[in-house]
Amino acid sequence: MGRSYIVEDAVEGYLSKLCEQQAGSVTGLLIGQSSTQRDFVVTATRTPQKEESAATAGNSPDKEWVIEHARQVSRMLPGGLSVLGVFIITDTDSKDTLTTLRQLVFAVENLISSEHLWNPADDDVTDCVTLHVNPKTRKTFCRTFDVKDPKSMAKPADWKYQSGVCSSWSMVSCCINVDMLVPLPDNRTGTENMDTSLKEELKVWAHQLESGVCLIDGKKLSEDTELTGGQKRNIRQTYTAQILLTPDDQRLTDVVQRCGGSVSVRGAVHSRAYLHSNKPKVKLAEKLLKRDVVSTVATRVQMLLEELLTSEEESKGSSRVKQQTEQFCLPRRVFCPVKVSGPVCVCDYLFSDEGLSEVTDRLKEMLDIDVDEEDLDTRQETPAEIPEKLCVFSARVETVESLEPKRNNYIGVAMASAVALLAAAVSVLYLSDV
Amino acid sequence: MVKSESCVLTICDSPVIIWPNRGVYATPEEISPNMLCEDIHQWIQIDEQESAGKRSAKKKSKKSSAVSVINLRLMMEATKTGPLSAPILSKTVQKSHFLSATLPIDCVVHTTCNDTIKDAFERLLEALTHQLCQMEKVILQHMKGTTLLVPKPFHFLLPEPKGLVTVVYPEGVPDSQLETQRKELHQQFELPNDWPYFRRSNAYHFPNEPYKDGYLRNPHLVLTHPSLDNGKVYSVQGIYSYRHYMQNHMDDNGWGCAYRSLQTICSWFLQQGYVERAVPTHKEIQQALVDVGDKQASFVGSRQWIGSIEVQAVLNHLLGVTSKIMFVSQGSDLASKGRELANHFLTEGTPIMIGGGVLAHTILGVAWSETTGQIRYLILDPHYTGAEDLQVITDKGWCGWKGPDFWDQTAYYNLCMPQRPKVI
Repeated sequence: MGRSYIVEDAVEGYLSKLCEQQAGSVTGLLIGQSSTQRDFVVTATRTPQKEESAATAGNSPDKEWVIEHARQVSRMLPGGLSVLGVFIITDTDSKDTLTTLRQLVFAVENLISSEHLWNPADDDVTDCVTLHVNPKTRKTFCRTFDVKDPKSMAKPADWKYQSGVCSSWSMVSCCINVDMLVPLPDNRTGTENMDTSLKEELKVWAHQLESGVCLIDGKKLSEDTELTGGQKRNIRQTYTAQILLTPDDQRLTDVVQRCGGSVSVRGAVHSRAYLHSNKPKVKLAEKLLKRDVVSTVATRVQMLLEELLTSEEESKGSSRVKQQTEQFCLPRRVFCPVKVSGPVCVCDYLFSDEGLSEVTDRLKEMLDIDVDEEDLDTRQETPAEIPEKLCVFSARVETVESLEPKRNNYIGVAMASAVALLAAAVSVLYLSDV
Repeated sequence: MVKSESCVLTICDSPVIIWPNRGVYATPEEISPNMLCEDIHQWIQIDEQESAGKRSAKKKSKKSSAVSVINLRLMMEATKTGPLSAPILSKTVQKSHFLSATLPIDCVVHTTCNDTIKDAFERLLEALTHQLCQMEKVILQHMKGTTLLVPKPFHFLLPEPKGLVTVVYPEGVPDSQLETQRKELHQQFELPNDWPYFRRSNAYHFPNEPYKDGYLRNPHLVLTHPSLDNGKVYSVQGIYSYRHYMQNHMDDNGWGCAYRSLQTICSWFLQQGYVERAVPTHKEIQQALVDVGDKQASFVGSRQWIGSIEVQAVLNHLLGVTSKIMFVSQGSDLASKGRELANHFLTEGTPIMIGGGVLAHTILGVAWSETTGQIRYLILDPHYTGAEDLQVITDKGWCGWKGPDFWDQTAYYNLCMPQRPKVI
């Protein structure tokens, strides 16, 4: 009793095209959504060419490169879409191919889950799919592995093409505020520390979100309610979600720490999750949406810090005195439909100094999608505005003024309270000069 | 942010969610701001608590609690209608101290049947903002260098018409160091200085919360008082917990009744905040008697009885409480002690331990008529060996009103009447 994969028709055409094009082996990723009963494959994308290897070198795929591709692609998938597995088009012997595929799929899955900031849920599907297409015979071999079990054996699975797989998928979305303030350790305020500190805080936030209350279209529904309740197949449902949070009750010990500074992330992100049309439950919608919220913020922070690190590397030669306060815009989210008429979109992030053409280029490279700039949806988020025009690559050099005379700064009261008649909680941030 | 539109109040155990700052907008839509507070009850799904009294045929009419409690939870809505601007990362390099604390906010508002939700929530928000200011004051007041104390709110039920009052105390500072604060409060609310209204252990206990230690509190409150011609009821003030045989896995069946009565009295002093010492175990009681020289060392661990004199000694030694001893040469004389007992409950309000014959009991109150001399005694019996079942205890008379024939008419009795310290 194996899994069954319902695959979008377009994927068949895509794979055939790849069979005809390349001489050597072609690897790629399969993207879609898993559910307990069935899995849906929405699109596929080939591993992009590496610049150094001009020719299709050999038949053994570059594992590291495939994994890196998967990591990048993961960032471009909104909630509900994920990398389900790996495909390979090769006429090599089936058994060897299977071993390769097994290695690839485990490596991909391990990398992607290690970047997750949330805890895996009990009802998560842990099977990944591998597809082997023989370009000469056009035969396909589809098997799954349980990536939770390192010793798992290949299980045969059904691979069925269908049209309009995601045409009636529904979407839950929200625009959620981010307000994080994290201290940085003394004398270690570099970019790597920002990264670690922010990751910790994001995990806490993810935990808070997990226990937050989720309203769908203004109502609190029970977990097992089914969404789309009996609508016609062609009508697309979009739901707006609201999330209510209470801070962790555990943090009753007051923590006063010396710090060398602080980093804050403030603003809002648009978050969405797509749900398959096979009677999805509210529980699933909540889970996917909340995960998307965390991962979109984490991805953007990651991208910004990577940019900063590279620019720091480049400017190591010049003696540049760090300013006391620096502000950077996180990239904003831009959506692109997978199929021109379909509801399902992938996304990309646009830095303030980039143009839309870079987005279309990246979509082509990573996801093998051809799209015009006009088809991109940039309306979900507006670009961030920094009051004092300090941008990422500012070359201003400023001497640090001597510290102002000692006084207590009561900087901000960030509050999230809970419970009127039982314990409630308020977070207070208190910074004082020492 | 409490005043912002993101502030949300949800009602526990119900699907009702209210945005108080958006014109008291609520979901489900049927709830409008002008709805009466008591109507919210229909939305609350409570677990069917065993409604005591349905089983026994002879139902003593019980006083039903006229107070009903609605629990709320305060949350923040993290989402807004978009599109909004993307986030900004801001990094500051500055040597400083970072403090992050979660403050327990706990507010109460009292509403009457005619209050609408709108009124109630307006008052609740006022209470919330007020409490935040109070907490800020307390934190800054008790801040020493870089250590901060968490402020914790306590609710106190003051005599009418003042009702419920919330006070914020810093965690970790014992009651003994907060006396000036309590004095100010007594002045502010014009309260007499002989009852510790504002000690932490005297905080109001909400009717729908079970006590964590499992003991029953004030089981006598569900009883109906006897009505005597021109009679008045004088009973224990404050709260005690019912101690009896077999509790705490201590098998003292047959010999421990005085110990249990003593424990009940100790629980009264603990509950009202006069002492911080936990209720002593049998061994600790015996050890105390050895320590004051009243008993030999071999007494500890034995199953020997104690009497009123020993109770008085232990109360003095362990709790610093003095007690008066009243001697009655024969049980029938107790019928004439109405005035003394009434006075005790009026001025001291503490439970009385009575020992005589071969039994010890606790007297919680007396119903006495000055004109006819009729008298009834409210008795708490430590000989009960069952579970903490209020129904059984009151139905079977383990806590109940007894007549003068309850006492052994020929035996002599000693009553230990603890004196309440006149402190706040």
